Amino acid sequence: MLLCSSAGGALAGLATAAVVRASSGELTAGAATTGLVIGTLVGVGVAAPAAAFIARGMDRLRRSLLDGEVDDAPPDALTRRLVGPLMGAVGEFRERSRAETRRATAGLRELEVRWRVSESERRRIESTIDSLRDAVIVTDNFDELTMANDAAASLLHFDRATCAHKPLADLIQDEMLVKLIHQARESGSLAGRKTVEYDLGASGGQPRSFDITLACLPDHSGEAVGGVVTILRDVTREKEISQMKSDFVSQVSHELRTPLASINAYVEMLVDGEAKDEHSRTEFYQIIKNEADRLGRLIDNMLNISRIEAGIIQVERTEVDFVEVAKEVVEVMQPQAKLKNITLLMRGGPSVYTAQACRDMMHQVILNLVSNAVKYTPEGGRVTVAVENDDASRSTLVTVSDTGLGIPPDALPHMFQKFYRIENYKRVAKGTGLGLHLVKHIVETVHGGQIGVQSTVGMGSKFWFTIPFEASGRIAA
Amino acid sequence: MTQRRALVVDDEAHITHVVTLKLRNAGFEVLTAGDGEEAYEIACANIPDIIVTDLQMPYMTGLELCEKLKANPETAHIPAILVTARGHALSSTDLAKTNIREVMSKPFSPREVLAKALRLLGIDAVGEQESEAA
Repeated sequence: MLLCSSAGGALAGLATAAVVRASSGELTAGAATTGLVIGTLVGVGVAAPAAAFIARGMDRLRRSLLDGEVDDAPPDALTRRLVGPLMGAVGEFRERSRAETRRATAGLRELEVRWRVSESERRRIESTIDSLRDAVIVTDNFDELTMANDAAASLLHFDRATCAHKPLADLIQDEMLVKLIHQARESGSLAGRKTVEYDLGASGGQPRSFDITLACLPDHSGEAVGGVVTILRDVTREKEISQMKSDFVSQVSHELRTPLASINAYVEMLVDGEAKDEHSRTEFYQIIKNEADRLGRLIDNMLNISRIEAGIIQVERTEVDFVEVAKEVVEVMQPQAKLKNITLLMRGGPSVYTAQACRDMMHQVILNLVSNAVKYTPEGGRVTVAVENDDASRSTLVTVSDTGLGIPPDALPHMFQKFYRIENYKRVAKGTGLGLHLVKHIVETVHGGQIGVQSTVGMGSKFWFTIPFEASGRIAA
Repeated sequence: MTQRRALVVDDEAHITHVVTLKLRNAGFEVLTAGDGEEAYEIACANIPDIIVTDLQMPYMTGLELCEKLKANPETAHIPAILVTARGHALSSTDLAKTNIREVMSKPFSPREVLAKALRLLGIDAVGEQESEAA
């Protein structure tokens, strides 16, 4: 028992010395002595009170070490001698630890701030590229995806949540695009960017045209290429509009040149004396006048359409009595109808309400529809103009029906398109292909009404339009 | 000289009329048609010496008409003058399949149409004698 105590005390003394060495980093003579004294005391079994004394000293040390408590009670001489150096070392250790902790905490805070700034910057960049309609993909030096916006994920069919740091070739089916990006990284320099036109096959639809801009990004050194940012802009609509403009100019050119060709040719014939008699000359003058009128109508129609489309036409709205306007048109058209032995009728009672509209424009609309009906109705046919109220839509409904050639089903959807004419009917009557387009604009764009057509080939056609009783104000008067 | 026969094709009656008058006054016998299909039938039946045709016409365009005429051994030799408001729409490949020798843009001069027709037929401007006989 004594031996055990002695051995245990010696061990405790060595342990204490080791603690001091480990804590302070150096083995002081005092600490070594203390360890030996304690070991000796315990070893010789001096007394249990001595053990209790040491325990108190150790407790002071523990509290000081762990809790930072300072025992204000004045230590007795033995305690000072035994524990004092140890307490001093512990205190020094504690101060150093606190300083280290403060430095580490400050470093951690700095790192946290930097991380937050970095995260905020990343979210800002993501939000920025997400707000773009263009598809944006960013790849690294291994052609792996590092960033992409929703437009890119949707266009190129990959899952944005799981795409990060995956090889582009695994994410995108379009091999040419992958190749373009790879080539840009391989051969590109940090200065400048490359733009290519490219058609991407839309799944289940028509291929769409893209302007693809590829720009190389610098790596961490800022000197070498470390990735590529690729921006895909859908220019399909722009190209369509450009083509439409080109077609329109071509069509206008053709339509203007045709009457101009007649005018030019007949004038030259008159100059060359090719008209042999007064009758021929009169005939030539009349043709020149008619073709000049045709040219004028064409220009007027194009200008009106252009003004309506631009929303700058001046509209003078009044309460228009549609029965009265339709009667005027029927009266104007009767001579032409009679020439073809066509019966031109008017239906519409006094109970028909008025509607707020531009009277001149309504006259133009009804005249155009009746004129077309007479043109495309064979001799002996019938054209009927009807005016009635459509209470359901609170509109005036005007219908022009004929027993004419009728319109083929494939042509029906195009009847109100600019410059559209049914190819096989061009010989039946002259026209610019602008009349019905203008009529549709006047009814729908200017007056907020509706226009439509029903037809059966060989049976005739029925064109109708409605004008609201009260102005919708789509184009202000 | 023997009277030359021309076929004038246009869906614009005024144009057909004015070209017909110009050629007729110059001594041509003139046939007319209002579209490509009708023109082809008339050309096959009457074998004109020259054709003056519009490009854009219903049923069959002037280009299709001339392609068809070139493909038919009976009419392959007939030279054609194309008068069009869309001259830029034609490529040399298109023209190579036809016997179109001249393309004129609208507005055009009937005087020039006559001059070109006479030249293509090897007739001098006065129309009194054929150059190959001169």
